[in-house]
Amino acid sequence: MAFKLKTKLLAGFMLLVSLLIVAGSVSILEFMKLSTSFTTILENNYKSIEASKTMLEALEREDSGILLLLLGEWEEGRTILRESDKLFMKAYTVAKNNITEENEAELIADIESKYLQYKEKWARPIVDTFKEGNIDWYQNNAHQEFIQLKKTINQLMTINQESLYEEATILRDNGHRAVMPGIISLIGAIVFSLLLNFYLNQQFISPVKELTKAIKRFNPGDYQVHSKNKSKDEIFQLEVEINDMLKRIARKNDTR
Amino acid sequence: MRLEVIFKILGVVLLFNAAFLFIALVIAYNNQESSLIPLLFTTLICIIFGLFPMVFSGKHEALSFAEGITVVVSGWVITCVIGMLPYLMWGGEFNLIDAWFESVSGYTTTGSTILNDIEALPKSLLFWRSATHWIGGVGIIIFVLLILPHARNARITLLNTEMSELSKSNFHYKARTTIQILIVVYVGLTLIETLLLKLAGMNWFDGINHAFATIATGGFSTKNSSIAYFENVWVEVIIMVFMLLSGIHFGLIFGTITGSRHNIFRSKVVRSYVMIMFLGIILVALKLFINDFYTWSESLRFASFQVISVGTTTGFATVDTAIWPVFTQMVIIYFTIQCAMTGSTSGGLKFDRVYLFIKSVKKQIQLIKHPAGVFAIKMENRTISDSLERQTMLFVVLYVFTFFITTLLLTTMDIDLTTAFSASIATLGNVGPGFGNVSSMGNFDGLPNLAKFILSLNMLLGRLEIYSVIALFTIRK
Repeated sequence: MAFKLKTKLLAGFMLLVSLLIVAGSVSILEFMKLSTSFTTILENNYKSIEASKTMLEALEREDSGILLLLLGEWEEGRTILRESDKLFMKAYTVAKNNITEENEAELIADIESKYLQYKEKWARPIVDTFKEGNIDWYQNNAHQEFIQLKKTINQLMTINQESLYEEATILRDNGHRAVMPGIISLIGAIVFSLLLNFYLNQQFISPVKELTKAIKRFNPGDYQVHSKNKSKDEIFQLEVEINDMLKRIARKNDTR
Repeated sequence: MRLEVIFKILGVVLLFNAAFLFIALVIAYNNQESSLIPLLFTTLICIIFGLFPMVFSGKHEALSFAEGITVVVSGWVITCVIGMLPYLMWGGEFNLIDAWFESVSGYTTTGSTILNDIEALPKSLLFWRSATHWIGGVGIIIFVLLILPHARNARITLLNTEMSELSKSNFHYKARTTIQILIVVYVGLTLIETLLLKLAGMNWFDGINHAFATIATGGFSTKNSSIAYFENVWVEVIIMVFMLLSGIHFGLIFGTITGSRHNIFRSKVVRSYVMIMFLGIILVALKLFINDFYTWSESLRFASFQVISVGTTTGFATVDTAIWPVFTQMVIIYFTIQCAMTGSTSGGLKFDRVYLFIKSVKKQIQLIKHPAGVFAIKMENRTISDSLERQTMLFVVLYVFTFFITTLLLTTMDIDLTTAFSASIATLGNVGPGFGNVSSMGNFDGLPNLAKFILSLNMLLGRLEIYSVIALFTIRK
């Protein structure tokens, strides 16, 4: 198949442009995925992990509050318990409104029921009752509920941390996939340019040089220019036309 | 050297790869896999760079020897570069050097891997890994020669470059017919094995992938524990039979099917090859049984599979041979060095060369006894020329030298001797697994990047049979 120079040049540039368009599109697509992963990590998992941490902190404070009540420090213990309860409920609401993982809803429901049971233990009077100073009551009731609740909250934190890790891995892979087409296209474009340069030299510059040499070698008696150009493109046509022109000159000279 | 002619043939090489990349792309699209874009991008690169030279180049009939060598060596290198792009772009366990290692290992049918978790790969990439084996098995240039238009003379030059003198010995046909026979046997064996593996209980996907890896004597599996995953005696038997067949000269397989006198049963080389392998199996099985590793039937089963797998340079595994007695490991190392027959898809030194080497040693002993005597070496009723004999002896020396140098280089990186020794010989012989940290159930991930790169060059040297690479750097015109 013989292509014209115009077609060859156009094909070369079109292929280069298409490579760059595809690389650009792929990078944009992957960067869009990257942004989705960021949102997933920040909105879905990070919020729940932070809420879990706050719940755990509030629980620890509530535990301290109970111990103060056991020591007869009613006012101080009550204040800590009231504030911690508010803090816990605030964090719990955040976690409840951010259910994104499998089994997360069940865990949230479990936390709610366990917290209500735990709250029941310290909401009733402790000071001036048989519970005050009763470490056995604390060990067998409040502390057990406290440990169970902590376990469930930790489970909630773990599933969100695992998901965060998975998302971070996806994020890393998406980042990698967004960058790689660009790098490969860059190297591809360099190789392509070298290849194009080689063909331009071979198909344009060399034939023109050959033709110039042939014209320089031209002997007025020959009326024929011979170059080594084998391609049937425009430069070959130019050589044919030069030879035709020389023949016409020869014929004109002969008729004189 | 006419670069435009070389570029045009390399373009066809890329387009041939693009066809397999497209199949992987369809798998990725159907399963909505994360490898979709890496495969799409690589396919497009192959098409763009494959079509481009065709726009500029016209018809070219003949190829010079230098051009042929350049096409073959650069064809393999470019193919390996293209083959690594899907891995590199996909990421996961692959970095630049690991992607290159996996690609070279695939195309050269070595089957060594850097992957710790093969099953984490999307199906499309698993297919691409196996496809690289299949493309490289019979030699990508052979495939290209079949589809290359207007290239009768180019075909002869390239065939002479791609296949060694010994490989061509059992082909009594013209270049085009030889290529057609190679492809027919190759495709035929692959189809039959796929069907049998399906009947034995594998699914189509695993069947095709394992058939690709068996017939190409590659060794990439779709499972982390290789063939051991299937725990299926029939699967093992089928794979063993096809590994053995793939290690035999394809011309002889074709001769057997068509009833020619050049067939497997009349070939002395095949007989010796099978007998030595049988002896190896018995020795390994006995040692395993005596050392109370397994029952006798298990010893025979595992020994057969491992010896055939390594002896044909495939590299599949059903057990971890690293825990086997040292004697059995030494027997397996012998088969890693010996490899299978020329004219097959196996790599490495090749049994025919070992056979010729022994005959040549015998001839030299006779010459010492009778200095004035004239002794000729015959193989398959053909007298071996002095030049071919010299070439073979030199190849053996070069092979051992290359293997020694690689081992030496690996030990400079503080790699233990067992790992360095077996990794060098396993990659040069395109076998795959070695011993130590790179055993049949291990991988090459733990090696330093430089070691991986050296071993990948080893694989290419082994696949190109060293001479082609030396010729490329020494031929001026």
